[in-house]
Parts: sequence; structure tokens; C-alpha cells
Amino acid sequence: MEIVVCVKPVPDAETRLRASADGTTLDIEAVKFVLAGYDESAVEQALLLKEATPGTKVHVVSAGPPPRTEEVLRASLALGCDSATWAEMPPGVAPDPVAAARALARAVASVPHELVLCGKNAGDDEAGVVAGALGELLGVPDFSAVLDLRWDATKSRLRFQRSTEAGTESWEAPLPCVIALQQAWNDPRTAKLPMILKSRKLPIAKVAPEAAPTTVGGSRPTKFELPPPRTGAKLIEFKTPDEAAQKLVKALKEEAKVFP
Amino acid sequence: MTGPTLVVGEVHDVGISDATKEAVGVAQGLSGKGNVVGFLAGSTARAAAAGFGQLGVGRVHVAEDARLDTATGAVLAQLVAAVADSVSAELVLVGGATFGRDLVARLGIRWNAAVATGVTGLQRVEAGFEVRRPVFGGRATETRRLEGAHAAVAVRPHAFPAASESPAEVAVTPVSLEAIPAPLWAPQRLGVEVAVRGTGPSLGDATIVVSGGRGVRAAENFHLIEELAASLGAGVGASRAVTDAGWRPANFQVGQTGRTVSPQLYVAVGISGAIQHLVGMVSSRVIVAINSDATAPIFKVADYGIVGDLFQIVPALTQEVRRARGT
Repeated sequence: MEIVVCVKPVPDAETRLRASADGTTLDIEAVKFVLAGYDESAVEQALLLKEATPGTKVHVVSAGPPPRTEEVLRASLALGCDSATWAEMPPGVAPDPVAAARALARAVASVPHELVLCGKNAGDDEAGVVAGALGELLGVPDFSAVLDLRWDATKSRLRFQRSTEAGTESWEAPLPCVIALQQAWNDPRTAKLPMILKSRKLPIAKVAPEAAPTTVGGSRPTKFELPPPRTGAKLIEFKTPDEAAQKLVKALKEEAKVFP
Repeated sequence: MTGPTLVVGEVHDVGISDATKEAVGVAQGLSGKGNVVGFLAGSTARAAAAGFGQLGVGRVHVAEDARLDTATGAVLAQLVAAVADSVSAELVLVGGATFGRDLVARLGIRWNAAVATGVTGLQRVEAGFEVRRPVFGGRATETRRLEGAHAAVAVRPHAFPAASESPAEVAVTPVSLEAIPAPLWAPQRLGVEVAVRGTGPSLGDATIVVSGGRGVRAAENFHLIEELAASLGAGVGASRAVTDAGWRPANFQVGQTGRTVSPQLYVAVGISGAIQHLVGMVSSRVIVAINSDATAPIFKVADYGIVGDLFQIVPALTQEVRRARGT
């Protein structure tokens, strides 16, 4: 089986957020980029399927600017993916999840693909749009918020669970399809040093951007705002637990006005 | 004259979901009361159309077919895009987290729409729309321009008030399923299990959330958290330490690899406040922290703090809440 995993570099969770000089987006000066959390789960899931089914190949693809895109592709190779493809974005295109999906679709099309995996969303823009848009571009069904993934007895259909508004749904679907994984339910492996060293020398295929964008419109960020910093908790002074409880309920009622 | 807004509804019991009612409210504010069209799909879509009528939406397109109860987003997007074109809509609005996100993602390609998800603010600007949406787990907010002839927007549940009641006659237009290619019906939903949770509201719906962390120490102590939540009518959450230890299932987890919540009141009990937890709850309006460690980072983001032993504080607080609410 041929599996493609789509990954995205996102700012590390510990990043101190700051607006860029023009105020439209995140200031990425000195920001450390890492593989998005759910994407890490998708890579792990792909590698588990590979281990369970001999002959499986895992291709990793990403769309975005250098150098961070190359870094997450190499990180995925170090984890055990077999090939990496970098979809370059057309110059001057603002970060937009549909535009990213269009670029990813070209990368996916450049390698053999039966199952396409990605994370439910990335922790930066939290759009969660890539799986559906990719499904539409590839002409196959997509499933979001997938919790776990396995073969049915005949190894021809996938069985999985999804976490939706309705609860936990059980599904069965034939290939090809796009699956967006949710939850770090599997403890993703970490790369071993020899693999990290080896991954630095592995080739990365490049897919050129569309010469002229065939679409008009799309979305672009115009403002990035941070909430006013929280000033720290007002600590409640008390001698007994009952006094603490009374003072807190009073504050929630009269001051914060959030008591039900 | 601008085109109408098409609101794609979720069928819920015998009417439409709360998230759909909120989307109708947004649509009426943007396009005018008479310029909103509804869409519903599923085995009871025609009956549910009355839910749109109650809110003054008199034109509803209905795809009534039991197969649509379990169809994938690919099928729904194809139907919605066709209806949107037939009514010359400029905007498709949909409520609901997973449902809305999956649909607008497809419309970004199929209907060539500018797309935004998780939207908490939406207004018309020259040459399109402007949305506001939380990013980075609610640690920041971005404003985004949607440009082009079409936009598809998923609005965040509870971010907008529901449309007010103003009953109108409903004219139903049936939607044909003939154009759907056979392979799109191949995936099968085998079943659905309603999420395991307490008697309170679900995490996503709750206006108050009480979460427990490592400080609770053992599964058998977690009832303290649940009792406090019950006294407040709150949803129950947990930090990753709790779900990793198996004290509660993974769907309780609030944080980077769990759910993001932004209730009116968030009570963190025995949670130190690692960044991975904070990103899931920091946009809550009022945060209360109860922790024995005065240096815990949770006190930096909390509005009110009690430094003390949760095994003493929490039962006292549950009692006091019950007393104050007369329950």
C-alpha cells in the first residue's frame, strides 16, 4: 500500500506570541518550528500501518516556505518515512488553508497514493480545512477527527472511529480516501540519532508552484491580536475551607458575575 | 443587490440545531431577514424545515433521503454547492464544529469559495467579508479578509446569539441526489456511540467547565471534581495527566492534544498549568485556580486563586455552591 502523510511546520507550543511589524500576522523572528502535534500522530499512524503490512511505503509531503518546511520533511524521514516531497507555494500568496491544500494536492499527485493521512488541524491557524479540500481536489471521500485506524479482516477496507458532535462514530471505508487524525492517542515515536544523521542527506523532491494561479479570491490575514495580558490571580485569603468557599462564591456572584 | 446567504442546517431532534439557529442569526444580520435561504439534508429534513420557518427563513431547500443521515462531507458539499449556485448565493454559512468545518473545506474547492472556520466575528467589507477567529488555542485572534465571488464560513458554536423567533410560511424546494456519483456512497457508518460523560453538559456546550488534574491523585478521588461540576451545572474536563493515567477517558482532556474550551467560567482544580493545558482553556472568560502550590503557573492566568488543599477546599466549595443556588 502507498500512504501519503501531509505535514505542516508550526511554532513550538512554548512560543511567546507577538504580532509582526505590520500587525497582520505572527512575528516568526526567532520562532522554533516543529511538526504539528496531530501531524505527528498521522506520521506515527502511517508507520504503524507500514509495520503491519509488508511492502507499504510512506511518503511525506509538505507545502510552505523554506527552511522550516524542509526541516519537518527531514524530521519525518528521520522517523521512518520513505520519501519526501516539498510543494513550493506560489510567490506572493498569503497563508490560506485552501491554497495550501491546492499545493499539497500537486505533491500528493506526484507520488503513488492510496491512503492520504493528515492531522485534524494545525495548532497555529487551527483551520482544519486541508483534509476536506484535498479530498475534493483528489475526488475521494475524507474523514475528519479520526481516533484510530485499522484494516478490516480482508485488508481491503479501513475501519475507524471518529469523534464528532454525535459522539463516537464507527466507520468502514474503501481506499482511496483522505483521513484527518485527531488526538495523540498513539505515543509518537522519537527519531534515533543514526536516522536523524541519515535523514540530512536524503533527497527531497520538489514540486513547482502553479505558474499562474487559476483561481481568484481566497483569504488573507489582516490583523493579529493578543489579548491583554492577564495580571495574575487575585488570591483569596482564608482561615478555613468554608471561608474560602464563601469568599469565592461571593466574588463570582458579585464581581465576576459568572455564578449560575 | 447582493445574493442571498445560504445557511446549511444540522437536523437535530425534530428541528434544527442550536448552532444552526446561531448561523441564521448571523446570516439575517448580514443579508437582511428576507435574503436568507435554508438547506437541510437527511431522512427527516422536510419536517425539520419548520425549524427554519420559526426563525423567519421562508425558503428551504431539502434533500430528504435516509442515506444522507450517514453520508460523508463529499456528498453534502456537492448538494450544497449546487443549491448555492441555483439561488446565486454569495455566502454559505454553517454552524457546528466538525460538521461545519468539513463542509466549508470542501466548498473551498467545489464552489471556489474563500473559507474560514471557527469564526467568532463576521462582517461585510468592500469586496467581500472580514472574519475574526481565535488562533493558537485562543492565545491570539486573527482577522482575515475573504475575497472573491463566494465565501463559505463555519461559525463557532456559542459565539453568536440565536436568531429570534419570527414565524414565516416555509416554501420547500426538493434537492435531487441524481448527480451524486456511486463511489461517494461507498463509505459506511456502522454505528454511533454517544460520548461517555457524566450527567452534565458536554465540554463543548458547557458555559462552565470544572477540570481536575494530577493533584486529584487517583481515579477514586475524581468524584470530587464531578460533584463540584454538578453543583454548578458544569461540564467536566481533565488535564492530560488524568487521561494518560486512565482516571478518565481521553474525551475529557482539555489542552493541546485534547479539546479547546472557552466557557464563561473555568475552574482548574489540582492543575499546575503547563502550557499544553493552558492553550486549551486560556480564552475562558473567568478562570479560577485551586492548587496547593502557590508557585503553580496556573495562578498567572487565573482571575481568582485559592492556595490550599483541594481535598478540603473542593467539598466546602461544592456545599457553598449548592447553598447559594438553593439546590
